[in-house]
Amino acid sequence: MIPSQMLKGILESCILKIISSKETYGYEISQQLKKYGFSGISEGTIYPLLLRLEKNDLIKAKYRESALGPKRKYFSITQAGEKELETFVNNWQELNHAVNQLFHGGE
Amino acid sequence: MKTETKILNQENNELDKRLTKENNVVMTDMVCYLRLANISEHDQEVVRQDLLQMVLSAQERGEDINTLIGEDYKYFCDEVIAALPQKNQKERVLDLIDTLLLSTFILGVIHIVISKETMKLIYNAVTGQQLNFQISISGGDLLSYVIIIATVFLIVHVIGKNLLKPEKKHNQSKIKKFIIGGAIGGGLMAVFLIIAWVGRQTLFTVNIFTACVFILGLYIAHKLLQELIIT
Repeated sequence: MIPSQMLKGILESCILKIISSKETYGYEISQQLKKYGFSGISEGTIYPLLLRLEKNDLIKAKYRESALGPKRKYFSITQAGEKELETFVNNWQELNHAVNQLFHGGE
Repeated sequence: MKTETKILNQENNELDKRLTKENNVVMTDMVCYLRLANISEHDQEVVRQDLLQMVLSAQERGEDINTLIGEDYKYFCDEVIAALPQKNQKERVLDLIDTLLLSTFILGVIHIVISKETMKLIYNAVTGQQLNFQISISGGDLLSYVIIIATVFLIVHVIGKNLLKPEKKHNQSKIKKFIIGGAIGGGLMAVFLIIAWVGRQTLFTVNIFTACVFILGLYIAHKLLQELIIT
């Protein structure tokens, strides 16, 4: 289990990555995260993060009718979101490299 | 409430009807908690719609609300509130003014309708006697107004603070409960005695039509604030 404090910061960028691949909705994002090994992530867990991303103009949202019943809020990435994702990838690689150097001596 | 927010509110009221009984109870508590948060009415309705669509989708999948948002509703709502822009001081002051305008309008209507002068005016009009259009405002009326407004604010604040908190067992002793109950009862009795004592003295009289125009003006000011300024 990844500690929640560490998870929160990383989760936003992972959500951005999923949205950057295709226009998608909350439940599908939570299922995608589970598929990649993020355990215990429900639609409710990611909702405040989606709200924050939307308020910061990193994603945009649109309600669409769904064949199954209730409407769905679909999210797509904005240009600012693409830039943010790029920054995260660079920072992550730098951090990942530093941690690997420290723990494995560059092996 | 602006038109866009009003439409959202109506849509949400319709969606509410599709909730199961259990989900409706939780949603009502969460929406009340959000209503008391320092976020705009529009954001409240947007979040309400998002949550309703999420819960209804979960219903379709046969999942309960705890699977969706966990068991700590307060934590979830606090996370949602933290993700939204908070109202600034100007917006909070406007909200307070708007609440006072509406409260004064409602209490003013009640005062005009139930005042003994209004009853007498109607009686005299029916029986063809001389009409007196003056209604009196006493110190007790003004004190009651202040106490009612203060009590309502206090109740809303206390309810809002404790709305989504898990219920605690009360470990207070009987003596402590008796003292607290006695203090509240005694305090209320003192308030009523003061109102009765001050209430005898008429501070001023006002023409009933002037009073009606004044409280109607309060209502119009409230509607204008809602439509033009408050989001």
